Amino acid sequence: MKKVRKISFTAAASVIVVSSALIVASMAQAKPPRSETQVAQERAALMTAVAKGDDLWHSAKLGNNGLACANCHPDGSASNVHTWPKFQTNLGKVGTLREMINWCIAVPMQGRILESDSEEMIAMEAYATYTHRGVAIAPAKDEQHPAVPVVSGPGYPRH
Amino acid sequence: MKKISRRQFLGMTTKAGAATMFAGIFAPSASSMLGLGGVAEAATKKIKPFNFAVLTDAHLYDIADHKFDHILEKAVADVNSIKPRPDFVLYAGDLGQSGKKAELVKGKKILDKLKMPYKIIPGEHDYYLDMGKAWRKLFGDEHWSFNHNGVHFIGMNSILVPDFWTLKKLTPKERMHMMEELECHNCGAWGVGEKQLNWLARDVKRVSPDTPVVIMTHSPLWDYYPRWNFQTYDAPEIREILRKFDKVISIHGHVHQVVYNEIDNMRSCGLLSTSWPWPYPPVELEYPHIKQRRADPGDFEDGLGGHDIALNADFDAIVHWREFSDLLPDNIKKGLKV
Ligand SMILES: [Fe+2]
Ligand SMILES: [Fe+2]
Repeated sequence: MKKVRKISFTAAASVIVVSSALIVASMAQAKPPRSETQVAQERAALMTAVAKGDDLWHSAKLGNNGLACANCHPDGSASNVHTWPKFQTNLGKVGTLREMINWCIAVPMQGRILESDSEEMIAMEAYATYTHRGVAIAPAKDEQHPAVPVVSGPGYPRH
Repeated sequence: MKKISRRQFLGMTTKAGAATMFAGIFAPSASSMLGLGGVAEAATKKIKPFNFAVLTDAHLYDIADHKFDHILEKAVADVNSIKPRPDFVLYAGDLGQSGKKAELVKGKKILDKLKMPYKIIPGEHDYYLDMGKAWRKLFGDEHWSFNHNGVHFIGMNSILVPDFWTLKKLTPKERMHMMEELECHNCGAWGVGEKQLNWLARDVKRVSPDTPVVIMTHSPLWDYYPRWNFQTYDAPEIREILRKFDKVISIHGHVHQVVYNEIDNMRSCGLLSTSWPWPYPPVELEYPHIKQRRADPGDFEDGLGGHDIALNADFDAIVHWREFSDLLPDNIKKGLKV
């Protein structure tokens, strides 16, 4: 994506050299450095998703037998988010973290699966992934991986 | 090092000075005061070999025909099939999930199918809806001790947290719900509290140091991973009180996994649940070879089971994790000598 864009900018620059200041201006406007406020807002949006995912992760409402994801996966542990996609025996194929989350909802929790692109699913993925920040993406080994140790509080900025 | 020699010194003086007194003058009064039968017998440091079983962490829900009901039933049947038959069974807490009376009643009904007597302590999941009221009504005291074949057994409630609910005006249900989360970050660290510490000190006062001791708590008596309350905040005080004994075996629930540690004279064994296995927390294990393998999420019995603990005349214990599937490494498959 990035590469393609770069090429087209170069092309634009070399071919339409003399052309308009308008293009140059619009290019400058297209990529201004993001302001601190903007960065803070974007980060806050992510944290809102993480918090929503945290709540869902700990909610028995996704299932029908009282279980929540956190019953087996406290602090996002043993979800091994950094190892997906991978071949997962119970999925019978190379699957994604979202498919695995849905499998857990459907089978051990006996609930109704989420739309893969739903706000809920993205929030769950955001939470699980956030609990593994900094962990190297690596193929799965035959052992469970702990999440990042949480020093205090929920483990992320939450209001 | 220093501590060990101090313990040995104390042990020796007590043994040399008190062995005859226990057999003679002090033994009858000590045993009648504590209601014990085995003080004089234990002073010879020989026990009558026997085995006992342990179950824990069923997390029963108030939902009919729940899968965890069946797993506990299976574990009870498994214990009933152990040969030689265990003299009794210990249950290490979290019989219910949300502290509801119905969960505990259901659990008691299943445990009553055990062919031998059992003793039980509460876990946090049994407790924080009504602060243990229903539990006590069904099972009695939260802490107790008894002697069996020369071994002193102790059970204590290790899940008591300082009040976090009154100021926040939480309802009992909200309080319980927070405690239900392993990583509850507003609930605080738990322990046995001062009252039970005093009780423990009194309880073991007249028990001679060469008496073998087995103590059961819901949480580990060492700092494993405090974030998940894989700890007991006053465990150092408990260990200090029990320090005079030659050997103490600590067994604990709550961790839902095979884990082992040694501190001073205490050998600690973590127990399998009959609900779900917890992952190993992000800390290095002192005994990494005493660990179960990763469970298959598609097999609802993986990583679960009960325990059989056999004690010989010299208080060597063989701790046998009776895992339903095959997740134990070879070195502990046939039991761990503790
Ligand atoms: Fe438990
Ligand atoms: Fe527990």
